[in-house]
Amino acid sequence: MHRYKFVLYRPLQFLPVLFGISVITFILVRLIPGDPARVLLGTRATPEAIARIRAQYGLDEPMLAQYFYFLRNLADGEMGRSILYKIDVLKLIATRIEPTLTLVLCSVVLSVLIAVPVAAIAARNQGRLADQVIRIVSTFGIGFPPFWLGLMLIILFSVELAILPVSGYGNTLSGKLAHLVLPSLTVSLSLSTVLARSLRAAMVEGLKSDVATAARARGMPESIVFWRHVLPNSLVPTVNLLAVNIGWLLGGTVVVETVFALPGMGQLLVRAIFSRDYMVVQGVAMVFACATVLINFLADIVTVALDPRVKL
Amino acid sequence: MIAALLKVTDLTVVHDGDGGERTLLDAVSFDLAAGEVLGLVGESGSGKSLLCRSLVRLLPSSRLRISGGSITLSGRELTTAPEAEMLAVRGGEIGMIFQNPSSHLDPVMRIGDQITEGIRFHQRLDAKAARAAAVDILAQVGFPDPARQYDSYPHEFSGGMRQRAMIGAALSSNPRILIADEPTTALDVTIQAQILRLLMDIRARRGLSVILVTHDLGIVAQVCDRIAVMWQGRLVEIGEKRGLLAAPAHAYTRSLIASHPSLPEEDMPAKAEKLRTPGAVPVVDIEKLHVRFATGGLFRRGAVDAVNGVTLRVMPGETVGIVGESGSGKSTLARAVLGLTPVSSGTIRFDGTDIASGRAVLGMLRRQTAMVFQDPYNALNPHLTVGKMLAEVLRVQGKIETAQIPARCGELLDLVGLGRAFLDRKPRSMSGGQCQRAGIARALAVDPKLIIADECVAALDVTIQAQIVELFRELVERMSLTLIFIAHDLAIVRNLCQRVVVMHRGVIVEEGRSEEVFSRPKHAYTAALIAAVPHIDPDKPLLAPSKMATPQADGVAN
Repeated sequence: MHRYKFVLYRPLQFLPVLFGISVITFILVRLIPGDPARVLLGTRATPEAIARIRAQYGLDEPMLAQYFYFLRNLADGEMGRSILYKIDVLKLIATRIEPTLTLVLCSVVLSVLIAVPVAAIAARNQGRLADQVIRIVSTFGIGFPPFWLGLMLIILFSVELAILPVSGYGNTLSGKLAHLVLPSLTVSLSLSTVLARSLRAAMVEGLKSDVATAARARGMPESIVFWRHVLPNSLVPTVNLLAVNIGWLLGGTVVVETVFALPGMGQLLVRAIFSRDYMVVQGVAMVFACATVLINFLADIVTVALDPRVKL
Repeated sequence: MIAALLKVTDLTVVHDGDGGERTLLDAVSFDLAAGEVLGLVGESGSGKSLLCRSLVRLLPSSRLRISGGSITLSGRELTTAPEAEMLAVRGGEIGMIFQNPSSHLDPVMRIGDQITEGIRFHQRLDAKAARAAAVDILAQVGFPDPARQYDSYPHEFSGGMRQRAMIGAALSSNPRILIADEPTTALDVTIQAQILRLLMDIRARRGLSVILVTHDLGIVAQVCDRIAVMWQGRLVEIGEKRGLLAAPAHAYTRSLIASHPSLPEEDMPAKAEKLRTPGAVPVVDIEKLHVRFATGGLFRRGAVDAVNGVTLRVMPGETVGIVGESGSGKSTLARAVLGLTPVSSGTIRFDGTDIASGRAVLGMLRRQTAMVFQDPYNALNPHLTVGKMLAEVLRVQGKIETAQIPARCGELLDLVGLGRAFLDRKPRSMSGGQCQRAGIARALAVDPKLIIADECVAALDVTIQAQIVELFRELVERMSLTLIFIAHDLAIVRNLCQRVVVMHRGVIVEEGRSEEVFSRPKHAYTAALIAAVPHIDPDKPLLAPSKMATPQADGVAN
């Protein structure tokens, strides 16, 4: 089991990474032009009122001092108060994290469920009709922007067929899932094409590999050659690609949550940016950054599990 | 002869390409008796491997097809058998092992499971019985602790053990015929001897018939009953080994025998001792050299001494061979001499100057030394023509005028026997031998004092090997080059080099004049190395009973 030892000590390496993330998001957020106090109070606010709000949120202090407050609050499990929502950012994020998390999870599962069989069919019929059709369809999948694809899905399934809700989020589990079908599908259609392409390329290589030849020479039928030898060897590069794409996906939820009016972190982020709600932008950015670090860590664990040669 | 187990008649395989049909196997006929070992020799591209693949109808490309002839296995026709029947034949009747066990074993599957797979599929055993059978097979192919090693992965084993595992996987379904395609080419000689001994032992125990594909006539002479020679897709000659080796009928067979490096050559004028001026400065002077590589990660540090205290002096005009098995440190030594690997301790002086004394010295070193690499294809830039490649080196070296570069490129190609037509060729359109000549031309373009050739003929066919070795011999003569020639092939070193250095685990165990070291080795390791080389004379047995061969003494060929 010594190959899994990195699971214990790798998190130590996260500390400097997280520190770097906090510094960068802190500075970037403050580089956004505009004054949050003015946004909060509207255009007719008096200079005194603005100064009072700035003092209340510590916005009149130097950047370095603001950063120390930020770190001290973080140690107390707080990320500062949201200017707009008037509650702690961490609590605010906690109310919004579930839809986003579920959306990402459903999208990833759906993408893998689409990508593996599609790649398998394409690879095993390399150059034939099925492969060509899949290639053309997947080019469309990559080509269409998610917001457009989302709207088209809404028109088709919610407006014309009226079998799925248009937008929003449910309260019961089944209601929530029903609301997540179209958003997940929107994300999966582009994500699965990226995965399927990489997986197909690895499988085509695998079918020609010496490992496959040796298995055939032992009399193994093509199905065993493929599922037992080619597939496991093709998964490793795709897992890393998936991890990179989940990081990208977190940013992508901003668009999808807006299109489907899902009350998640993406939507929160968009509103916070428009209202110069520093603390929220900072908090969401940090959560996304931590999530990306965590996902790559999970991908490393999966890679070690899939490939006995890998040592981390 | 008893009734043939396998009978191949006029087997023809064609390639359907854009330019029409091309015949790759041309009416090949032979038969194989039960328990017989047939050696199949020929150079790369002669169709040996394709023939083996055709026997089980596993053609490497969909553009290849069997266009005529028949293959009968105990009276059953295989060329027209349905695919389902072929699944039972592959593995179940005809097993195969391949040259490169590292790439043919599934890296993410346990060794034992790869053997169990065949047992379960062909013999329909349940998981527990199959595992027991697999453990038994692992023991048969020489795994010392089969029950535990069952759960190991291929990368945890050495090349020799991997080849044993692959033999185990082939045996898993109890085949009657074993096709071994260059099974020992990627292995060191001592390991090669062990694997050949194992194959013969298994043949004896199981009554297997074996088709052994190899380019090494020494191996066929030692282990086979009959020899078949392939040349350009045709089986040009087949016969009992002694008769065939003594009186080869085909011209290619004769050249193959002539170029086999184990033949003692009576006339070796090139090896005449060079005049050694007393007090001359050695080209390379290595003293107590250590090269240590760190192993492990952040938490488990270790170190391996790849070169462990080597002292060696190479005089101008000398040809020194360095031999040893993989991992003996010979390549690391060479890289250290060229300043390509950091040295842990000790000194290397090139022409009297310590190469560790600054970047300027390193620059001087690079202008006076050159290396020829093992893999001729990968060592050449695929995007450059040979002419551009040579011109680049000449321009960077700046030893001659720019205007003279094209003329010099032509001269260099003449020197290595390629001809000026190759100036516009790219590596892709050249054979392995031609690429290696281009690689040598590139080394000569530096106008070096010293050339280091690292396993530069290992990837080439025997007849081509002989040509390249001859080229080196000529060049050394004509240009008073100093050559360090690294090879695992003892016979080639013996033919080319005046002096030989034997390395084992980072240490020089023996050093001396080639004739002396090879005829009267002083160190036990050198003796073992020499004894493991298969001799082309069948009456000088390689597989003579040794302490390892007690149970398989009766399995020895002859």
